[in-house]
Amino acid sequence: MIKVGDREVAWRPGMTLADLLEEALEDGDFYAVVRLDGKLVSRPNFATTKVADGAQVELIPMVAGG
Amino acid sequence: MTSISLKEIKTFTYERPAIERGYANQTLYIDLSRNFIEIRPVSRQMKDVFIGGKGFDLWLLWQAVKPDTKWNDPENAICISSGPMGGTPAYPGSGKSIVTALSPATGTVIDSNVGGYFGPYLKFSGFDALQVQGKAGEPAVIFIDGVEEKVRIFSARDLPDDAYALSEALTEHFGGKKRRYISVVSAGTGARNSLMGCLNFSWYDPKRKRARYKQAGRGGIGTVFEDKGIKAIVARWDSVSLDTNNPADKEALKKVAKLHSREIVELDPKQNQMSKIGTTHLVPIMNDFDLLPTNNYKFGQDPRAILIGREVYEALFDPGFDGCWLGCTVACAHGVRDFVPVTGPYKGKKVFVDGPEYETVAGCGSNLGIWDPHVILEFNFYCDAYGLDTISIGTSFAFVMECYEMGLIDSRATGGLELNFGNRPAALELLHQVARGEGFGKIVGQGIRRMKKIFAEKFGADPAVMEDIGMESKGLEFSEYMTKESLAQQGGYGMALKGPQHDEAWLIFLDMVHNFMPTFEQKAEALHWFPMFRTWFGLCGLCKLPWNDIVPEDNKDTEEPAKVMKHVQWYAEYFYAVTGRKVGPDDLITMSEAVYNFQRIFNLRMGFGRREHDTIPYRAVGPVTVEEYESRRERYDRQLKEKHGVDIEGKDTAEKVALLRKFRQELYEKLKDAVYKRRGWTADGIPTLATVKRLKIDFPEVVEVLKANGVTE
Ligand code: SF4
Repeated sequence: MIKVGDREVAWRPGMTLADLLEEALEDGDFYAVVRLDGKLVSRPNFATTKVADGAQVELIPMVAGG
Repeated sequence: MTSISLKEIKTFTYERPAIERGYANQTLYIDLSRNFIEIRPVSRQMKDVFIGGKGFDLWLLWQAVKPDTKWNDPENAICISSGPMGGTPAYPGSGKSIVTALSPATGTVIDSNVGGYFGPYLKFSGFDALQVQGKAGEPAVIFIDGVEEKVRIFSARDLPDDAYALSEALTEHFGGKKRRYISVVSAGTGARNSLMGCLNFSWYDPKRKRARYKQAGRGGIGTVFEDKGIKAIVARWDSVSLDTNNPADKEALKKVAKLHSREIVELDPKQNQMSKIGTTHLVPIMNDFDLLPTNNYKFGQDPRAILIGREVYEALFDPGFDGCWLGCTVACAHGVRDFVPVTGPYKGKKVFVDGPEYETVAGCGSNLGIWDPHVILEFNFYCDAYGLDTISIGTSFAFVMECYEMGLIDSRATGGLELNFGNRPAALELLHQVARGEGFGKIVGQGIRRMKKIFAEKFGADPAVMEDIGMESKGLEFSEYMTKESLAQQGGYGMALKGPQHDEAWLIFLDMVHNFMPTFEQKAEALHWFPMFRTWFGLCGLCKLPWNDIVPEDNKDTEEPAKVMKHVQWYAEYFYAVTGRKVGPDDLITMSEAVYNFQRIFNLRMGFGRREHDTIPYRAVGPVTVEEYESRRERYDRQLKEKHGVDIEGKDTAEKVALLRKFRQELYEKLKDAVYKRRGWTADGIPTLATVKRLKIDFPEVVEVLKANGVTE
């Protein structure tokens, strides 16, 4: 199981952040940055970042800050 | 207690007015040449049209200067104002001051939005704005004492020269045991000896028992301050509550303040965690998206960025509450305790560093090829203490380093400093030279626009290359974002009124990462709405961070997530609750439009403010060198083929660089056309008479400026 914010999402072996956002979330493409177990990961690295079972993912809504 | 001696040369006694719906309804005028002090009324029209903050400042500055006034003429005025909501303790981000003056960097109006307690204390002492003209014969301290109802001018000969010691000493001197009721504005030796001086606005941190400060950094206002012979301006007030602004509808204020404040407490830990790490999270994010300026904006990425990012500063920041105004739950103004500089006058001594924020990390770190968080802290500490803008320092040093590496200047020009990217000791030595106004630092402290001229005339450097790589526009150095792949952000920088600072528009994510505005019209709309709404914060005494750095959880499901309309609505309610003026989100934009257009016309009056002045260096638009092109060859080749229909077979890189340049520069000019049209300006970038009338800023002197520039409709 993976926790995405307050939600629980099923984990599968080899799952990447890109997989998680695409498969498990309707609005996954809105997020360009997430925090995976306390570390920031940005979209260019989603496809190469593996998600471990039990991971905690926070979706960071970065749109027009800065 | 530090013993300091101040000689009183003028005392002005006044009766403090009651604050009504966020306004004191008067301003304070000081002419240092004559030691003259008077109180001036705030008219109904001034409040209706200019609102407060930057609006008031601009109006006062407009009256103070003439079209031929130079930054160092006595009539140049430093204007400081908070705004009607400034000083509200419960609503996050409500303690800002806006400072304006004619800038030594640009020659026209500069404005800077800054935290610290000064603006609210000034207002509660009885003044919506302060305007200082003239020049003091001897170093002066101005003390605005809202408790004793006195404004005093002192001559001060033996005060510390740097802002770090000076803020502390004056806080102690004027505050005694009540130091949290003091705010000090000061600059420093670097501001005096360069053209990129900043102002430090203090706030007292009761937990750490020390004066902390935030900076009004951009455009050399600190240099104007020093040129006027001002050592410090100090404000004293008493305790602050929700009643101090005497809001029109206290219950409504309480309600909306609670909503926003609570939301931040709940969501910041899940989102950017600014209360823990400030804006340093932007370092790794910008790096991942190829947006972190590296080696004078040549590149946007480097594997070493991890060494100067969020995690490093999270470990370095001293934990605790860091709000630069009372009750700001974002509390992002972090600092580092017990830092020990390895160079300069504080070498070997423990100091507290206020910062760094993202801009300083990128400007004095990645953009100089410096991947050492301690050297960045040392830059941060000394820039503040010397009264220097970390952004202009960083961007200027980056330009110098590239010139040095390209052989445009050599070690004879730099006085022996080997200013390669990444040379930390040389970069720090140059910083101290800038502050002392000595050696090569004296040239560098004049900023990129003047350096380009000096390098060409004195050292024979190629002016065309420097035009391309010198990251300034209107005379102001760029802040720290890469814009090559975001046309909208090129416009955000190039069409910003004061010069390339991102506080008007930060559209990189919207444009490049999310691709929310693919057409020119959409980009133009964004370059209308965002600068206007961001301007509004500066009219009201507010910080923009609570608006869109922490957003509601359902924001993504709204029609235009980037605008965070739920918060815009809260801001409209907040404005009503304090001032009693019923407004909706669209009214906030119209208020800003009036001030924004007025500032554009002010520029025009000073000889700027046309299309030609919205030009940006090609480094901000695309790859200048073969090296840059090659570093992202796949991307640029694809764009030439797919976007511009070019057959690149057989073309060498230099040819491709030239072709891409032609296409990109055309796009930037097309963007200008679309934005000017959307803003109600002529093709030359001047507000039309109809626009000025619609916004009710058609004062005779405004219409006169338009007429003189050929605009009569
Ligand atoms: S958000 Fe940060 S900068 Fe803005 S007022 Fe709060 S502490 Fe100050």
